[in-house]
Amino acid sequence: MKRNFQKGGSGGINMTPMIDVVFQMIIFFVCTAQLEREQFSEWITLPDSPNAPQMAQEKDPCTITIEVDEKGKVFIGRTPLSISKLRKVLTKTVADYGVYGPSIPIQIRADSSVPHSFVRQTMDICTESGLYKIAFIAVKDSVSD
Amino acid sequence: MRRNKNRRFANTNDEIELSMTPMIDVVFQLLIYFLVTFSTADVLALLDISRPAPDAAQSQQTPPADMIRVAVLKEGFAINGRAVSVEELDALLKKLAQISTKQTVMVNCDDQSLHGKLIQALDMCASHGLTQIAVMSGK
Repeated sequence: MKRNFQKGGSGGINMTPMIDVVFQMIIFFVCTAQLEREQFSEWITLPDSPNAPQMAQEKDPCTITIEVDEKGKVFIGRTPLSISKLRKVLTKTVADYGVYGPSIPIQIRADSSVPHSFVRQTMDICTESGLYKIAFIAVKDSVSD
Repeated sequence: MRRNKNRRFANTNDEIELSMTPMIDVVFQLLIYFLVTFSTADVLALLDISRPAPDAAQSQQTPPADMIRVAVLKEGFAINGRAVSVEELDALLKKLAQISTKQTVMVNCDDQSLHGKLIQALDMCASHGLTQIAVMSGK
C-alpha cells in the first residue's frame, strides 16, 4: 500500500480537498435554502383551510406578501411597518410599476387570532393604493403537527 | 519534496491513509445540527377574494338580493340576515352552491371577530366551489 502510494498519483487519491469543497457546497446550499424560507415570520399561526385551492408553486415574482401578527402589527418581509408607512410603500410600488401597478398580487398572511379590524385596515390600504388582487394565505395541510 | 514529506510521515505512521475520525466527527455534528433545525414546510393554500374600493363600500349600502350574504359575527355566523351555526351555514351554502357556483358570496366580517373565523367561512365557500367571494367589513 505504502509503496503504491509513493510511486505516483495513480495509486491513491487525496480525498481531503474534495471533501472540503463538497462540504462547503453542502453548507452553502443548505444556508441559501433556509434564507429563502426565512423571509416570513415563523411566529404567525396561519388559519387552517383544508378545502381551499393549493398555492401555486410558481407565484408571480411581483407578489407582495403582507403579514399581520396576532397583535395586529404589519410586516413586509419581516420589516415592521406603521400604517402610514405601509400606505406610502404600496402607493409608491403601484406608481413605479405604472400600468401594471394595480395588478400586483397581494397575499396576506394574517394570524388566525388577530381581530378582523387589523386585517381590514391592511386590505383597505391595499385597495386605496389601487391594488385589487388580494388573497389570504392559510394552511391547507399541516405536515409538522 | 515528496521524499521529505514521506520521511516526515514515516516517523509517525507506517501506513498513510485517510484518517476518518475527524471527518466523521464533523459529519455527525452537521447531521445533529440539521436534525435539530429541521422543520417541514406546511402546504399553503390561497383564498382569493375581491374587495370593494373604500368609497364604493360606503355608497353601496344595500347589496343586490341575488347575492349570498354571509356575515361573520363575533360569535357565530349569519346567512342572509339569519343567525346560524357552523353546521347550518355549511348545509345552506351547500344547498345554494348546488343551484349555481357562479353566485357572488358577500362575506361581511365583524371588526371584532377573529381572522380565523373569516377564513373558516371562506373555506366553507371554497369547499362547495363558490369562488366569487367579496369580503366586506363593517360593524
